[in-house]
Amino acid sequence: MMKNPQTVTFTLNGERKTFITRPDEKLLDLLRREGYKGTKFGCGQGTCGACTVLMDGRAIYSCLLYSMQAENRDIRTIESIGTHDKPSEFQQELIAAGAVQCGYCIPGMIMSAEALMKAEKTYPEEVVREYMDGNLCRCTGYEKIWDALQTVLARREAANKAKAKS
Amino acid sequence: MKLCAFIRPASLSAAHENLRELGREGMILAGGTALHFMQDHTPVTAVDIMSLGLSFIREEGDYYNIGATTSLADIQRYRAPRWAMHEICRRISTHQIRNISTIGGNICRVFPWADLPVILLAMDARMVIYTGSDEEEFPADEYFKEQPAKRFLDGNILTSVKIPQLKAHHGFGSIKVVRAEAAFAQVTIAALLELDGSTIKTARVAAGGAIPFPRRLPSVEAALGGQQANEETFKEAAAQADADVTWRGREGMTPEYSRHLAEVTIYDALERAAAFARGRNE
Repeated sequence: MMKNPQTVTFTLNGERKTFITRPDEKLLDLLRREGYKGTKFGCGQGTCGACTVLMDGRAIYSCLLYSMQAENRDIRTIESIGTHDKPSEFQQELIAAGAVQCGYCIPGMIMSAEALMKAEKTYPEEVVREYMDGNLCRCTGYEKIWDALQTVLARREAANKAKAKS
Repeated sequence: MKLCAFIRPASLSAAHENLRELGREGMILAGGTALHFMQDHTPVTAVDIMSLGLSFIREEGDYYNIGATTSLADIQRYRAPRWAMHEICRRISTHQIRNISTIGGNICRVFPWADLPVILLAMDARMVIYTGSDEEEFPADEYFKEQPAKRFLDGNILTSVKIPQLKAHHGFGSIKVVRAEAAFAQVTIAALLELDGSTIKTARVAAGGAIPFPRRLPSVEAALGGQQANEETFKEAAAQADADVTWRGREGMTPEYSRHLAEVTIYDALERAAAFARGRNE
């Protein structure tokens, strides 16, 4: 039985939901308890980025947010990005580049990239690094993840330019 | 520290009342990132102040007024004439943390590695504290004289931070030295120079990271006043820092290494501040 239960209501992947929680429960723990297990528990102390989700469109570490702080916010997890049958553009490029080894960091990487693509129209290297430097990968050495992301960003930047011209 | 209850007050005065009644069992919660690292297991009630309208950046007279719950990411992204706060905010932790962490949370309880107190000391910022009936302003020198957390034990709430707007002949430079991109500072230095032509009229220099608590460096400042803003002056001034602080070794650095690193960083921050001031004069 949960001690000191309270409720928290927020929009999760486009759907408004209410959850029973505890004052000291992290958003990460709530999400995983409720079955959103794409959000990974890595370091639990805001270093590795495996638990990255979007809150009101911005990337945050869900291990450093009490679930009660999500009240009335818009939370998006990796489950909202793509599916096995219909992966997102970045997910497709990660597969094409062979960029995934153990895969544990990938949901967090994708969420940080989502925040980048939502907020920015152009993608200079310094800006991309800023968005991605809060996500660690212990397998790949980052090269292929970086390449996959650059492929997507180059395509988007070209599309943005074309749109601006027309 | 263990959160046992969670309150969302509807107003600043209600938050003050909640905190006053709770005493040591109450804890202001803004971004909340620091609370996860407090090691003691004292049961506390969180008083969430994120919905009280304290997230803003406004130009007010000679100041930029930054609301206490403004995120570091918002400060980093803000642009305005004579604005210099974005540089250091970009260097604090990762963007996931900057999206949550607030300026107030960074300075209500000061950790030895904190960067913002160093910046605010050099900038001569003013902290605005709500006392329940009134608002009081504290200059950075007074606010950071000792651990500021003591100021908030009776329910008082930091509401904003006022940063003086830099004048045309002012220059500001801050440097944070880290081992890895998102790591805590090995040393952080901030310098504010007021130039009269090529002469340094006034200087404020502060340090953090390799010392137990952020503080100004009066001996460095004294060595700068009235001197020419050039390489020689900056080198001589940087060498005076030992008179003000004892650098400590940490993370594999010896105290001597910290001292040398700090001296070099002070020099670099002064160069940066002077370049900033000259740029403004052009």
